[in-house]
Amino acid sequence: MMIYVVLLFLAGGLPYYILLENNKYLNSKQIFLLSGFLLICAIFLSLSLPDDHPDLLVMISFASAIFSIYKATKTTSFYKLGYYLIFVNAPFFILFQDRGIMYSISLLVSLTGLYLIAKFYEKNYGSANYGNITGITLVTPCVGTYLAFYLIALALYPPFPNSLFFLSYIFKSQHDLLSYVVVTTLFFGNFFLAMGVMKKTLFGRANPNIHYVHMTTKEKIIHFIVLIVLIVLSFFGLKETL
Amino acid sequence: MSIIEKLNSVKDTVPHYWPIGSFIHHNPLKGFEDLHFKDGLAKAKSIFGGKVYMDSSYYMNLYKEGKIHDSVLESNIKKVLSEKGFDIPWEFAKKFLMEVSPKWSGLRIQLLSKKEKIDNALYAYLENDSIYHDKQEWLDKLTRHMTLYEINDALFGGDDKESVEKNIVEFISRFLDEDQTTMRMPNRELGMFEAFQLFENFTYERDAESFVQESFKKLHVKDAEAYLLTHLLKLHGWAGFIKYRSEDKDYIAQRQHPSTLIEYLAIRLYYELRAVKNQKLRNFDLFQEYANIHLDDVILKLLAHKHMLFGPALDALESNEETSVVLSNHISGELNLDALQIQHSSEVLQSALSLTELAEIIKRLREEEGYIWLKSLEDSYIHSYVDKIINVENKAEEHVTASATFCLDVRSEVIRRSIEKTGPYQTYGAGGFLGIPIAFVEFDKAHELFLSPAIVKPQNVVFEIPVESHDEYSSKTGMNKTTKKVLSDLKNNPYTPYIMVEAIGWIFGINLFGKTFLPQKTNKLLSKLKPYKPKTRYTLDKLSSNEIEFYVRKLHTKIIHSVLAYSSTQDYSDEEIESVRNHLLFENDLKVSIPDEIIEKLITAHKITPQDYEYQKKKLAMVGFTLEEKVAYLQKYLKMIGQVSDFPEFITIIGHGSLSDNNPFESALDCGACGGNVSLPNTRTLCMIANTKDVREKIKEQGIFIPESTKFIPGLHITTTDEIKFYDTDILTEGQMQKFSKVKDDFNNASIQSRLERCKSLPYTNTHKDIMIKSMDWSEIRPEWGLAKNMGVFAGPRNSTKHLVLNNRFFMHSYDWKIDNDNADILTAIFNGPLIVGEWINLEHYFSTVDNHIYGAGSKVYHNIVSKIGVFSGNYGDLKIGLPIQSVYLEGEPYHEPVRLLSFVEAPLEIVGKAVENSIAKPFILNEWIRPVIIDREAKKVYSYENGEFIVIKEIA
Repeated sequence: MMIYVVLLFLAGGLPYYILLENNKYLNSKQIFLLSGFLLICAIFLSLSLPDDHPDLLVMISFASAIFSIYKATKTTSFYKLGYYLIFVNAPFFILFQDRGIMYSISLLVSLTGLYLIAKFYEKNYGSANYGNITGITLVTPCVGTYLAFYLIALALYPPFPNSLFFLSYIFKSQHDLLSYVVVTTLFFGNFFLAMGVMKKTLFGRANPNIHYVHMTTKEKIIHFIVLIVLIVLSFFGLKETL
Repeated sequence: MSIIEKLNSVKDTVPHYWPIGSFIHHNPLKGFEDLHFKDGLAKAKSIFGGKVYMDSSYYMNLYKEGKIHDSVLESNIKKVLSEKGFDIPWEFAKKFLMEVSPKWSGLRIQLLSKKEKIDNALYAYLENDSIYHDKQEWLDKLTRHMTLYEINDALFGGDDKESVEKNIVEFISRFLDEDQTTMRMPNRELGMFEAFQLFENFTYERDAESFVQESFKKLHVKDAEAYLLTHLLKLHGWAGFIKYRSEDKDYIAQRQHPSTLIEYLAIRLYYELRAVKNQKLRNFDLFQEYANIHLDDVILKLLAHKHMLFGPALDALESNEETSVVLSNHISGELNLDALQIQHSSEVLQSALSLTELAEIIKRLREEEGYIWLKSLEDSYIHSYVDKIINVENKAEEHVTASATFCLDVRSEVIRRSIEKTGPYQTYGAGGFLGIPIAFVEFDKAHELFLSPAIVKPQNVVFEIPVESHDEYSSKTGMNKTTKKVLSDLKNNPYTPYIMVEAIGWIFGINLFGKTFLPQKTNKLLSKLKPYKPKTRYTLDKLSSNEIEFYVRKLHTKIIHSVLAYSSTQDYSDEEIESVRNHLLFENDLKVSIPDEIIEKLITAHKITPQDYEYQKKKLAMVGFTLEEKVAYLQKYLKMIGQVSDFPEFITIIGHGSLSDNNPFESALDCGACGGNVSLPNTRTLCMIANTKDVREKIKEQGIFIPESTKFIPGLHITTTDEIKFYDTDILTEGQMQKFSKVKDDFNNASIQSRLERCKSLPYTNTHKDIMIKSMDWSEIRPEWGLAKNMGVFAGPRNSTKHLVLNNRFFMHSYDWKIDNDNADILTAIFNGPLIVGEWINLEHYFSTVDNHIYGAGSKVYHNIVSKIGVFSGNYGDLKIGLPIQSVYLEGEPYHEPVRLLSFVEAPLEIVGKAVENSIAKPFILNEWIRPVIIDREAKKVYSYENGEFIVIKEIA
């Protein structure tokens, strides 16, 4: 049982809500990186666990995920959004059993892209907050396109691996009431969170108070690599689903 | 001052919006033309926000390309420094414009992460100069042009704005609908505010003005004028359309469903009151009290709402830091960046000035730089074109076979040049309506089209009537109408769409795939299904009073007969119908028993009233022309273009229109001088008049002898494909027809040459066949470039610009000052019509390019047609004014070069002066919304109009 508590601790955002939310030592960027690291640890740990999982664990992580969705709707910081999305998806990681690992890897890769966009915003606009950076699709189409890819992946839209591993779980697993509730709620949670970001920063009129900056070639290449990794994972996801 | 008077004082801030079906290019800042161009733009910027000049980096690129001449730029910098009393060397200002300003905004980004020491004196100066130290003033500035529901949204995070605007758009788009919907709003004939009360199910005993007044009391509005303007600006496209309708008494939809701006504002305020009723801040006094207590918090939230608060401050707000600290950090962060920009500029400029002096200079230079760059670009073009025009070899064609008059539209330039290259042809340019404004009723259509500039109201109505059997046309038209109706009924029935999609959905697939993959073949196939109009003629003669009475009677009896037949089972004799008519029009006793509701219906719905009787008679009296009118119009036209002698055998007058598919803005590509319509009816009318024997005899008395053998032939230039089609050639004799075939062949060759030349500027177009396909491709966003890149107008003899390559950038109006009288009546007429249209077109392109979001229509991709009057983005929003971004930009870069209309007039200065004085265009000419350039060959001088005087810019050798 203890090992499941550890798993919940690593993936479900409990350390954040208990210790880090009001701390003054780590900023949101560091918390994002830490949460990602903890999720990787959880992935490794889960390799040694049997497929079965206690419902109580799913329920606790589900409650934490619902709370994280609420928190995510209140932020316009990419870093915060990033770690909230990790916590939102923790129940999937636990519920999806062996597929949960691949799902979580896909999630991590998508969030890596989001992290790089956050760094780009931080470098050029002083913060990873997208609240005032509107309409980037029209003014900086390259940034807009990559961000759109990451958000579509996080919104569980095909053909990105997140959605394919998600579909694979739905097609190939036995479902009970708890899994129905969790899957449906969190699917829409992910979807509306990602779409909300799209509405706020991708679309609309460009903010005339901002001097928009284009990606450098180096940045474009790094994002392209992330995209390639997502596509490779998509092949695995497709194979798994079929 | 009453509310209406206050509204009248601000309503011209929003421009007219004409329905998209007859798109009228217009200056979106028309209401500012009483100010000098520069001041008007500054005022507009303070109201609308956004940009009024291009960025300096744009002008810098033009400078590097050599389009802005170095000497011109230097001269303009010196002028501004001297006028504004700047005590700095011009080289310093130039260096600022060229090296610092283009990087000004980007510099701020670079300095974000820099930790440099800030000069204390500079910081103190900037702080003192900023609005930050007076928070009440800052608050007033932030809430200017904000409604109370927007303030509530900003402070408490609601979304009332969305619901209020959505409700308003839903009501007005349904009320103003012009037959787009199949479910029409009832009771629209009662007027907008009355219909609104029924729509929202409330009653208000008094009128809309009283409602606005009461609403202002409830909201505790302090400055009524400013608040009226605030509401007008929220959806200024819709407001502009309602303004246009309410001021045009002949607009049919307005006559049927009256609406006024005050009613529109009453509706807005109804929704505002409803939105704020349960809000914390129900009126402006409560808001002021709240702001007094929470000033920092209010400012911060307003800044965030307006996207003026940057990332770090937003992060701090999310972390619930104290608002006064966040605001103070935001202010110091902004001032630090401002100071760093000045310090960095000082290094680049190697300035010896103190930093505070430099800050002051930079502030003032930044206010002036847009105008300096713009004027330098214009002046460079002026110098360049003056040199070209005065060096053209002035050689008249000796034996002209045919002359061709085109619209002065910029798109005629290439085809005119091509025609002149192919043979002994002389071309002319004139306003597309040819100085003959007509209300045209096309064959098989019920409504009249006003074929004249939007500012001219036609006084002559012309009907098109068939002169040959049109059974096939009627049969095909009837069949097409029935098919459309059946499909529409099937589509709108709640049950049939389920079956319809399965059964006949594939038919639409033919159209869909055909138009996508084989547009040319599909177009050919579909054209076989289209009815071809029979040969027609126009009604050019006046009706007698008996004929007028006959037609009005016929109309009324037909209406009464059909209403009675529909509403009653009883048969009525002709005498009984006549009795009903006499009762309705002349208040005679009714000799037949008719239910009161039918009488009421005839009066209200079908308008059979004494007033309408008089109106119909007045309209019919406008049909055709008197002989004097015909002669006067023909004479005016010939004198206007300077063609008063040596008439060739064929005088072709060629109107123009555009062809494109799936393009709501198609009429924007038609003739601007004909109110956004195809100008063929004007050319046919004038040619028919000119070919009339009694007109020729009468005009001969006035010194214009047109030989009997000379024939006026109307034509149509399709601007998308550059094809020219001639009409009414059956008036030619067999011998003439043979000669005219050669003319047609030459014009065809000219069309091909013109297409090849235009290929170079159109994207993804390599052959002239590609151009043809563009006119029928439904996915084509640029069937042609239209009037983009328009830059100037030339009014003078053709010989001064013959064979000069002007790349479709000039409006070309033929004018010979030697024919004009001492009062410059001809030039005045050119200023009063074509020049005004040219200015509207030019400034619409200017503003759609400098800020497409505010003055343009945004991307075509998101457009949806609304109420058949315009487009909006998505499923609700403001009517889009101006031009779509695809019409003025290419792949993210401006295609159109925004400059004021460079108006070259070749005539003595005195003549031009008189024309300006007499013209209704005088305010915008003197306020420099165009750039007049006078080529006075008599005095051997070229003048430009600047700062209230004509100055010599070149001596002609």
